[in-house]
Amino acid sequence: MAEAASARGVAVRASDVAVEMAGVSKRFGSVQALHAVDFSCRAGEVHALLGENGAGKTSLMNVLAGLYRADAGTIRLHGRVVEMRSPRDAIAHDIGMVHQHFELVQAFSAFENIVLGAEKRVWSMDADRHRGAIAKLARRYGFDVDLDRHVRDLEIGDQQKVEILRILATGARVLILDEPTTHLTPIEVERLFGSVREFARSGLTVILIAHKLREILAVADRLTVLRRGRLVGTLDAADADEPGVVEMMIGERGALGTASCPRTVVGPGTVLAVRGAASAEDQRAVDLADVDLTVRSGELVGVAGVAGNGQKELVELLCGLRPLAAGSILLGERDVSRCSVRERIRAGLATLPGDRIREGILPGAPLFESYALGLHQVWDHSGWRPGTVRDEAQSMIGRFRVVAPGADAPTAVLSGGNIQKVLVARALAIAGQGGDSVLVAMNPTSGLDVGAAAFVHGQLGAMCMRGAGVLLISEDLEELLAMCHRILVLYRGQIVGSYEREAFDRYAIGAGMVGSGD
Amino acid sequence: MTELDASGALTPRGDADVEAASGPDGALGAPPGAARRQTVWADVRIYLGAVVVALVVNAVLLLAIGADPLVAYRQILSSSLGSVAALAQTLNRMTPLLLGSAAVAFAMRAGYVNLGVDGQIYGGAILATGTAFALYGLPAAVVLPAVLVAAILGGGTVALLPAVLRARRGVNELFTTVMLNFVAFYAADYLSTGPWTDPVAGEAISVPIGAEARLPGFLTGGGHIGILLALPLVVAMAWWLRRTRAGFEFRAVGGNPRAAQFGGVSLVATGVVALVVSGLVAGLAGGIEVTGVHRRLILGLTPNFGYMAVLIAVLARRSPLGAIPAAFGFAVLIVGSDSLQRSVGLPASAVFLFQAVVVLAVLYFEVRRGGVLAAVRGRVGR
Repeated sequence: MAEAASARGVAVRASDVAVEMAGVSKRFGSVQALHAVDFSCRAGEVHALLGENGAGKTSLMNVLAGLYRADAGTIRLHGRVVEMRSPRDAIAHDIGMVHQHFELVQAFSAFENIVLGAEKRVWSMDADRHRGAIAKLARRYGFDVDLDRHVRDLEIGDQQKVEILRILATGARVLILDEPTTHLTPIEVERLFGSVREFARSGLTVILIAHKLREILAVADRLTVLRRGRLVGTLDAADADEPGVVEMMIGERGALGTASCPRTVVGPGTVLAVRGAASAEDQRAVDLADVDLTVRSGELVGVAGVAGNGQKELVELLCGLRPLAAGSILLGERDVSRCSVRERIRAGLATLPGDRIREGILPGAPLFESYALGLHQVWDHSGWRPGTVRDEAQSMIGRFRVVAPGADAPTAVLSGGNIQKVLVARALAIAGQGGDSVLVAMNPTSGLDVGAAAFVHGQLGAMCMRGAGVLLISEDLEELLAMCHRILVLYRGQIVGSYEREAFDRYAIGAGMVGSGD
Repeated sequence: MTELDASGALTPRGDADVEAASGPDGALGAPPGAARRQTVWADVRIYLGAVVVALVVNAVLLLAIGADPLVAYRQILSSSLGSVAALAQTLNRMTPLLLGSAAVAFAMRAGYVNLGVDGQIYGGAILATGTAFALYGLPAAVVLPAVLVAAILGGGTVALLPAVLRARRGVNELFTTVMLNFVAFYAADYLSTGPWTDPVAGEAISVPIGAEARLPGFLTGGGHIGILLALPLVVAMAWWLRRTRAGFEFRAVGGNPRAAQFGGVSLVATGVVALVVSGLVAGLAGGIEVTGVHRRLILGLTPNFGYMAVLIAVLARRSPLGAIPAAFGFAVLIVGSDSLQRSVGLPASAVFLFQAVVVLAVLYFEVRRGGVLAAVRGRVGR
């Protein structure tokens, strides 16, 4: 167990290479997730793995943790080549990974969850034998969790502690943390990093997967940056400066280069007004309360927030999928609070849902039908003429340079970027006429490459130019800062801040996103 | 927050081809018709392959029990298609299979599985029989349409409960439709042994309906015009699915319910339409069996037509039009192999085996192509 190791902690020399991965490649279908990546880290160091979404950070670590088998490359642990066939192999080699989604049994107590990982015997279980050791482990790293409570009753930050303890209790010497700060408050982040330093001091190797640079520079000893599946470089944190690392992460031609604030004259006309809106209580969702927001003609309004603070619920509330418990929603002059999704689409509300595949398309249906879905509500011909629809889709494919075999091809054969193009084209057809129309877009460029993201950014701007309003709900703060006339901050289902473009303050917005704003 | 690994799994072709889009024309031109012709040809090959495999396997089985396969196969064809009377029998048998499978296929297009066709057939048969008794002695021009409408409503009524439970409470229709098969079966049992029983017969059958409630004959040898009612109805269902806006919304729910919701389609309304229309169509099958074949309510009204309907619907890839040849093929097989019992002296169990081999062969080829799996997966993904 880990505390046995910590007893000899200082005996481990910091220069010992604990993990060495060489030439690791991994392909999913036609996507090369990792191109011959080299990575190494030492015992007793905190090593940050940085990169944008889709850079291959998690893929690389999943290879190390035995979840994926690499197509090529070798893994050495303390100089010895090992084969990672399954997570079991990784555990046997003292490698443990804390995923973004914890693998805890909700109905068990924290203690039971930890013992579950630590008990190596199959046919018997001596829980009390472990109790002292686990409590000691928790104390050593400053994890003050009530171990006898059910996991489902614990806050997310405490669940994370339990998950980390569970991994440590398996005897892990290499601890991989995948985006551990996503759901934490700043104070919790600080405490977590305190524990992380403590792990390193006791000789463990900690690999932190992250895409938020600023907080990482404070805790990491070294950084490795990946970009689009390739190694960009490894450097000491002491030598790293923020702009330099950002350039390593996004490349010279960063996606943000294409995002710019549309130079529209924001009209006086309000196209979308939400007043005191609250969503009906829902156990499985974030409840929205007191949401006030206004989007004017030609305006691009951003909603910033950490994932899981009510973004999805806000989209559903606006487009009519989630019942409104209080307040009102106006499209132009019209109160649509009680209107169905269909009526709102007809009133000029278009949506780019957050999950473009699960919420946007009909995967098995021909492309022209996916394109028509939703748009068919505004077509004046009341019938359904496949020929006409096909022709319209064919012309859309040409206009937007969608790479597709044709309007009859099954939608699922398109790539993510091309699917998003089709959805943007559809939204433009619904809301692009100007007037009182609005586009609600959630994370419209997530997972897209530079070219596709540029296209989406351009179209959002074009929509504002035509007098429509755009509500851009994004987890990418940089995108919002680059594009929006105004940014609202969403935290735990409430709008906690509003910033005009002249007064954008990334630190204040960032603090609001994690609930520590003014 | 998906890493490339997650998005890569969802988007089989990845984003790399966006770069190819910078060419002058994004669309890779391929005439749409050519692709469709290719698919149709692939389908034909699958079914031909399955038939060949089934014939070979069954030939081995027939040889093993000492029968001449060629004689048996000739017998199957001649007894089901060899004469006008044989064809009439085959069409009689095809009618409930076609209506049942079109009903199942229709609901499947919206992502719902109706396993209650048998119950809905009984529901239709019960209401048809009751109406025929109630209108006894009135002119046929009044009675027969009323009886058939009653049958349709009877099937719809049986399907209404699962539809409402699904829409209001989210109760899975797989369970409710199957459970109602028992309810409808025992209701028919009660009526045919109790209030409506034929005291002379001494088994679970009702007294006969009047001559004015009987379906007119078609061809010869006991054939009835049921198939002439079923075919236009099935064509109309296919037309509705393909050519109307409501049909598009209906199919959209089957393709991706969440996306359909974002597109302004009501899942509740769609679910009710899917199951109730399915029940209405199956109910008509019950009415046709009562008025055309048995002329009374009997317990053996549906020898598992409901389950065969599910098979046929899957083989027809959830297409009502595809159910026409598939149901016809099943009818030939059933009528023909039943006759093997009499002529070649094949035991009844061997007849079932024979049918099962054909079904398995077709399913095997379907799975190889992904058809059945896609149908099942479409379901599981909800």
